[in-house]
Amino acid sequence: MSKLTDIAIIGIGVTRFGELFHQSYDDLVRDAALQAVKDAGINMDEIGAAWLSTAFPEIGVFKGRSGMDLSEPLSLYNIPVTRVSNFCASGADAIRNAVNALRAGECDVAMALGVEKLRDRQPQDSIVKMMVEYGHPFLQKGFTAAGTFAVYANRMMHEFGVKREDIAAISAKNHFHGSMNDKAHHRKACSIEEVMASPMVANPLTVMDSCPTTDGAACVILVRAADIDKSKHNPVYIKGIGLSISTGWDLPFFDPNHDFLSFEATRTAAATAYRQAGITNPIEEIDMIEVHDCFSIVELLTYEDLGLCARGEAKDLIRGKETQLGGKIPVNVSGGLLSCGHPVGATGIRMVVEVANHLRGNAGERQVKNAKRGMTHNIGGPGAIASVIVLGSDI
Amino acid sequence: MSYIKSYGTALPHFRIEDSILHPRGKAGIMKAVCFSDEDIVTLAYEAASGLPKSDIDGILFATATPVYQNRYHASYLADLLHLPQGILALDFVNSTRSGTDALLLANTLIDSGKYRNLLVIASDVQFPEIGKELSAPFGHAACAMLVSCEEGPVQITFAKSFSAEFAEEFDYKGAHIQYDPRFSRDAGFKANITSVVKQINAAPASYDAVIHNSVYARMAGGVFAKAGFNEGQFAKDRLSNKTGNTGSVHALLLLVHELENGKRKILLADYTNGTNLLEIENNPAAECKSLADQINNYELVGSYQDYLLLRKAGNFLAGDYTTKEMFTSEMMMEREKDTLRYLMGLKCEHCGTIYYLKSARCKKCKESKFSVVELARTGTIYACTNEHYFPASFPPVTMVVADLDGGGRMTVQQTDTMYPAKNKMEIGARVQLVLRKMIENDAKPDYFWKARQL
Repeated sequence: MSKLTDIAIIGIGVTRFGELFHQSYDDLVRDAALQAVKDAGINMDEIGAAWLSTAFPEIGVFKGRSGMDLSEPLSLYNIPVTRVSNFCASGADAIRNAVNALRAGECDVAMALGVEKLRDRQPQDSIVKMMVEYGHPFLQKGFTAAGTFAVYANRMMHEFGVKREDIAAISAKNHFHGSMNDKAHHRKACSIEEVMASPMVANPLTVMDSCPTTDGAACVILVRAADIDKSKHNPVYIKGIGLSISTGWDLPFFDPNHDFLSFEATRTAAATAYRQAGITNPIEEIDMIEVHDCFSIVELLTYEDLGLCARGEAKDLIRGKETQLGGKIPVNVSGGLLSCGHPVGATGIRMVVEVANHLRGNAGERQVKNAKRGMTHNIGGPGAIASVIVLGSDI
Repeated sequence: MSYIKSYGTALPHFRIEDSILHPRGKAGIMKAVCFSDEDIVTLAYEAASGLPKSDIDGILFATATPVYQNRYHASYLADLLHLPQGILALDFVNSTRSGTDALLLANTLIDSGKYRNLLVIASDVQFPEIGKELSAPFGHAACAMLVSCEEGPVQITFAKSFSAEFAEEFDYKGAHIQYDPRFSRDAGFKANITSVVKQINAAPASYDAVIHNSVYARMAGGVFAKAGFNEGQFAKDRLSNKTGNTGSVHALLLLVHELENGKRKILLADYTNGTNLLEIENNPAAECKSLADQINNYELVGSYQDYLLLRKAGNFLAGDYTTKEMFTSEMMMEREKDTLRYLMGLKCEHCGTIYYLKSARCKKCKESKFSVVELARTGTIYACTNEHYFPASFPPVTMVVADLDGGGRMTVQQTDTMYPAKNKMEIGARVQLVLRKMIENDAKPDYFWKARQL
């Protein structure tokens, strides 16, 4: 493969995440986009192409079904705008598409914006409704999202000696991190015991092992590294970006090859991103990671899929507090999805904004010291789709 | 004359005691009661699913459940059971005698020489009006019999029907069956069975068991006794207290009960608006106690409220969330029925991996040549979880990922779990796939597989 053109992020913006009744879908788009445009020091009309990530318009507010739902609130017309939908990896995929357009020369300045508005409906009317009432009438019927990941937890406990406390420790760690994030949906630290004692959702996962459904938006402005003006830009570089679909919506639950201990998609997406970034030993070469902790078990098993440790050893990383702020490789210092919440289309971009803030040294109380390289990870569908993005402070 | 080559019975997993149904009801007297995902179709399917399916040229389906309360009958069952299209498919409805009606006609059709193997299935699921359970007979069950011209362990040596002009004492009030004392009379009954007795050719003493399936069994016994039968020959109905009166199925269940008791020569008299009389000779090759096993293996419904939940008559425990219409379609069922209904999977001809879902290429070895294989209905749990937020009458819903014996993997709901603590699933446990209702809030239910603990 020929050498890829270096791409930089020059503008970042993220709204507060939470139950944002006072902000409409359009308000959220404007909030995130205007922050990013201001941060990039550009005029909105310099944007040559944009990607809008909203995963579930039909269980939200019926907005985000096409790119025009980005154009309209910003008056950003007469350029190509594409809506990206790839489940929970939608935001990261919007960035990947923007990167590729810059590399192909379609435009000089690209915008990737993710937004999701889920709280206008009751929680049971959004994601749960999708699992209960939509889709195939029989296949997987009986699962909610929590259950599709709980089977991994049970298998990890059965196979690798993972304890219930190890899984709850992920949630306690992320809620501790989230207590320092003024844009997080939930900002209260909690104990392992509180996580385990909260109401059961899908055995062994409780409410506090599960991320909330949330409103929010995040935006990045990207350019080719060659176009950076150091006098006005504070860039962060995309070192590697990988996306992989490694199974289907129903297949994982009907595939005898699947072991429920690992997401193949994460492994292949990470391999691509690591190859581009020249990473061979991630735990030594990366300073911080935002991992897709939609349910606490997902973060735990992703340690193994990202190659931070060998198979079956993830529990040792959490037991040794290696992934806590101040540890060897802090994971989800933003608070993760468990604390920030999960506006599905925005999450991947929110993670990139978080890492960019650390690489710029702007993360405040939760700043990871001397962060030079960071990474984001998303998993979408029942572990079918994964995205891994490696970011660096230097080219 | 014809033979009963093979039979199967199906009782629901649950029983309810009369003492739960009414303060005056007795503990220990039970009725077999369907779980919320069972109906006449699932019970009929279960009863027939163990029978040999080759060379069946007709299906005769009997039920006292009114035709428009259950959309699916003989033809649908034939399709569910994967019998060839275009075979004889007859429905016998509107009478509790319809079970023996079907058996009697099957015998006649076999006698005619035009048919070789006929599948007779009786299935009944009747619920009385809420609060009136004690005064109405009900109990849910199904029984299937393969009637054949080929020799089998049970022979039907005589079969005849006698009409009579008197009405049923049970009728429908609204959607529910009830006892109507206006029609509780015995005049026609006595005359009818008197003419029946006259038709019996063999010496009364030659019978090992005489079954009277009637609420007037005692009166029938009196008429038989006058004709020279001995009280000791009468096979008392020992099922009603354990299963309830199972309607059109009951006469067949009583027959199976006596077959399993090892009785050799049996007279079966089934009375309702007339009488069906069958003489049966039983030469069992081996002892079979499948009905006895089903009678003795049950779980009790713990309260009247649970019984109402089971009937979907009210849901006091679940949250505010009620399920709306789920998406389903006739076209989807038709085009996917090999997979959804018959459990046909694909076997990779290269690496041997068996898949339940179709794909263009093997996920493991990427080869694209597959052969079609039927998946086993038993397996071992690979992973499972309990879903507390999926709407259900009896939460949580347990989801089971099962590796089927011989290959293939299925993920399905656990069923027969009114009290999940008693039926905990864990990795490594053995399960059986059973066909149950999935879409229930529709006049036309759709059926799919669920797992039952073995």
